[in-house]
Amino acid sequence: MPDQTQQQFQYIGANIPIAQAALKATGQMMYTADMKLPHMLHAKVLFSTRPHARILSIDTSRAEALPGVHAVISHKNTPNRYFNSCGEVLDEYMTEQLFSPVVRYVGDKVAAVAADTEKIAEAALRLIDVTYEDLPANYDPERALDASATVIHDHGHLENGNLILTVAQSSGDVDAAMQQADRVFTGVYECPAIHHGAMETHASLAIFDAEGMLTVYTPSQDTFAVRRNLSRIFELPMSKVRVSVPAIGGAFGGKIDMITEPIAAALAMQSGRPVRLVYNRTEDICSTRNRHAMRLYLKTGVMNDGTIVAEDMRAFVNAGAYASGTTSVVWAMCGRLFKVHRCENVRFVGYPVITNTTIGGPMRGFGSPQLFFAQQRQMNTIAQALDIDMLELQRKNLTNEQGADPRNQVPHGNARPVDCLNRAAELIDYESARKEQQESTNQRYRIGVGVGVGAHGNGMYGVKADITGLMLKMNCDGTCVLFTPSNEMGNSSVTLQKQMVAETLGMPLSDIDCVEADTRLTPYQLGDYSSRGTFVSGHGALKIATTMQGYLAEVAGRMLDVPADSLRFSNRAAHAQDERSVSLEEIVQFSRDHDQKELMCAESFASQAAVMSYGAHIAKVRVDTETGEVSMLAYAAIHDVGKMINPLSVTGQIEGALQMGLGNALSEEMGIDERTGAVKNRTLKRYRMLYAGDMPKELYVEALDSFEPAGPFGAKSIGECSVVPTLSAVGNAVSNALGLEMNSLPLTKEKVLAAIQKTKEEKQTI
Amino acid sequence: MDRISLMLNGVQTEIEADKNWTLLTVLREVCNLTGTKCGCSTGDCGACKVILDGEAKNSCLIKIGSLEGRRLETIEGLFQNGKLHPIQQAFIESGAIQCGFCTPGMIISAKALLDRVPNPTDDEICAALSNNLCRCTGYVKIIEAVHMAARLLAE
Repeated sequence: MPDQTQQQFQYIGANIPIAQAALKATGQMMYTADMKLPHMLHAKVLFSTRPHARILSIDTSRAEALPGVHAVISHKNTPNRYFNSCGEVLDEYMTEQLFSPVVRYVGDKVAAVAADTEKIAEAALRLIDVTYEDLPANYDPERALDASATVIHDHGHLENGNLILTVAQSSGDVDAAMQQADRVFTGVYECPAIHHGAMETHASLAIFDAEGMLTVYTPSQDTFAVRRNLSRIFELPMSKVRVSVPAIGGAFGGKIDMITEPIAAALAMQSGRPVRLVYNRTEDICSTRNRHAMRLYLKTGVMNDGTIVAEDMRAFVNAGAYASGTTSVVWAMCGRLFKVHRCENVRFVGYPVITNTTIGGPMRGFGSPQLFFAQQRQMNTIAQALDIDMLELQRKNLTNEQGADPRNQVPHGNARPVDCLNRAAELIDYESARKEQQESTNQRYRIGVGVGVGAHGNGMYGVKADITGLMLKMNCDGTCVLFTPSNEMGNSSVTLQKQMVAETLGMPLSDIDCVEADTRLTPYQLGDYSSRGTFVSGHGALKIATTMQGYLAEVAGRMLDVPADSLRFSNRAAHAQDERSVSLEEIVQFSRDHDQKELMCAESFASQAAVMSYGAHIAKVRVDTETGEVSMLAYAAIHDVGKMINPLSVTGQIEGALQMGLGNALSEEMGIDERTGAVKNRTLKRYRMLYAGDMPKELYVEALDSFEPAGPFGAKSIGECSVVPTLSAVGNAVSNALGLEMNSLPLTKEKVLAAIQKTKEEKQTI
Repeated sequence: MDRISLMLNGVQTEIEADKNWTLLTVLREVCNLTGTKCGCSTGDCGACKVILDGEAKNSCLIKIGSLEGRRLETIEGLFQNGKLHPIQQAFIESGAIQCGFCTPGMIISAKALLDRVPNPTDDEICAALSNNLCRCTGYVKIIEAVHMAARLLAE
């Protein structure tokens, strides 16, 4: 194994473009919707227009009779096995079926058609006659908890009514500490449902062949869980189910759940032909998964010097119509509340609640952006009330390198949020920005500066068996093939695995071929989620490369007559201390010809640490008090990711997270029309994601020069953590610009204007 | 079925399709040119950009029937004789590519810009990309890539 603490490496720490970039740049990358097979049919799904209704009858005979239609499926002719679409909680809260006789949100699956063309399939949908009996609908998690609220599921072992599970954790004595606090602050914070917005919509292509083998090509982050779910639904052994990922055109957690896969599979089984199902954007917004809408009640007890002595949060989380991974998201966010402050008295109670809206599911940050929006907004309020600068208040309370979880004393790892904060303040020139803020009071254009700090994890150690299996085999010219269960979905996770192999075996990245994410071809892993890419799977790649290095060294040692452990690997060769060397090609040939042995290995890596990643963001905005428009003037995002394995991808992850987080803060919102239950913003014209011109003109993105001893080469995660502080930084900046408490996202110009108007009216009444 | 004759990636081409089909559908399903992507079908994401008579356009909003006699470039046209176009090279090296789904549309928009303005400013680049969405990169490295491409093209 290479010395991981040294400073100079050839591939570790280098700026490496993402694997297969040339395919993506030329349009040659084959995404699921680009695949075509002989005799392939096209599928369309009939979605519910009712928020909650019992299907009294469904007549598909006219659709079946339409020329070109080859299969029509509904709850009447498909397996009715209950499941949970989210692999993280595969065995719990099984509320979903392939098709149910009850629809539970506008956008729920009612039936599906496979036909010669998509147009014929669409026409067939219009020939399906459904009669519904409407049931009362609930869109708000708090109202859905009322004793009088209609219970949406009678299956899945939910805790009580529409409440899936009470997630409750605490440390210390919150009530006593709250009593002793000099000041107690309370607030209510609201975050909307958000569309993942991956540019590639959900899609699958399924084949059911004469051997009884079901193959599904799909852009999935969780191939092995999808296989398990398909195997359950269709009662097939796993040897007869293959889930393969051709490519992923963006996922962000939205492609963890199994969504289109069983529909395409059932149509393929019914028709005996390959079936491709591609959701359009409206279907992707309304009928897949979303970031959870939440209402958070937070109470903080503080001493007059700014020391936080108690934090007490209650979170009402809109799970939408099916359980999916909502409990997992609430558990994850719960844990984060115990990871950032030195405060010993902390309580979190979360209520994931079923309602009749689109399904909430995993999304980048797993509840942390919302949690920290509440916490950091309240910190900002406290700073103002106590007349302490926000940076001072943060420094007084943030955890540090010695920090540990107050529930169980598990260390956070090398936690450096204060260093992130200090660097962000320096880069954005916080003092000058604050001055600009003060000077702009009473002007039409107000300047606001906002600080947000957040944390995220590194895998699922302590929650699940957090393992990644990998295989590696040498080719006889000294190049190799890595079999990885990950897919390079855009975050450079496979690129990083290749860097680990390249550094350890001393070969260029171009010498490493990869077989990716395919249940038939690669070993198992937990999934491409939970910020496991670097810390767990990357570590797995280092482990398997180290094993292979041992094999190569053993052979090379005999060839050169030196001890195996004295060899160094670089430039496609093993080098002895006396300058003699043998090439990787010669080693592999010697092994084959002389030892009669193929050089190959398989390893599984299990994570054994629950360290945290941290980041601090500072936003500087300009608010036009006449139009309500918020412009992003400057932004600093500084993260502690341990050692950067690939700075190009680390900064790319942070920059991309800003597009998502700033959109979440300022303009993105699915919305619900309470008269019909339908999603309001159903197209990208109405669902406003940020374009290039909307991004901050002045941008500072950096990672600390740091080292996490538990990570591979000292590295830890960035993908999810990067989005976590965004909502609070922007929320605080806009609130500070206006001198108002802006606690409900997104901060659209309408909402900003309304808040300004309300204050004016209140002043007039006084 | 209608017959439409046009110049596609420098080659005079005759296409048989219903004239009311969108150019995007025809490219992907009739011509098997799947480099042009569909992200929305409403003209809001730019994943389906093509260059039509020198201008970047959303192919999801154009009927194939209107293309008679016109000059069309798709992402496939940029990769000639096994050689990456300098814009493609720049996108790769700058780290402007993550999931890659918006990339063909971005490169097409960048090409239409650079064909017109060889050395664009940040504002000109943002304006040229004002109808292209990317969910991965935050556009920072895409803008850098366009600058790098301008330098490579000038060499």
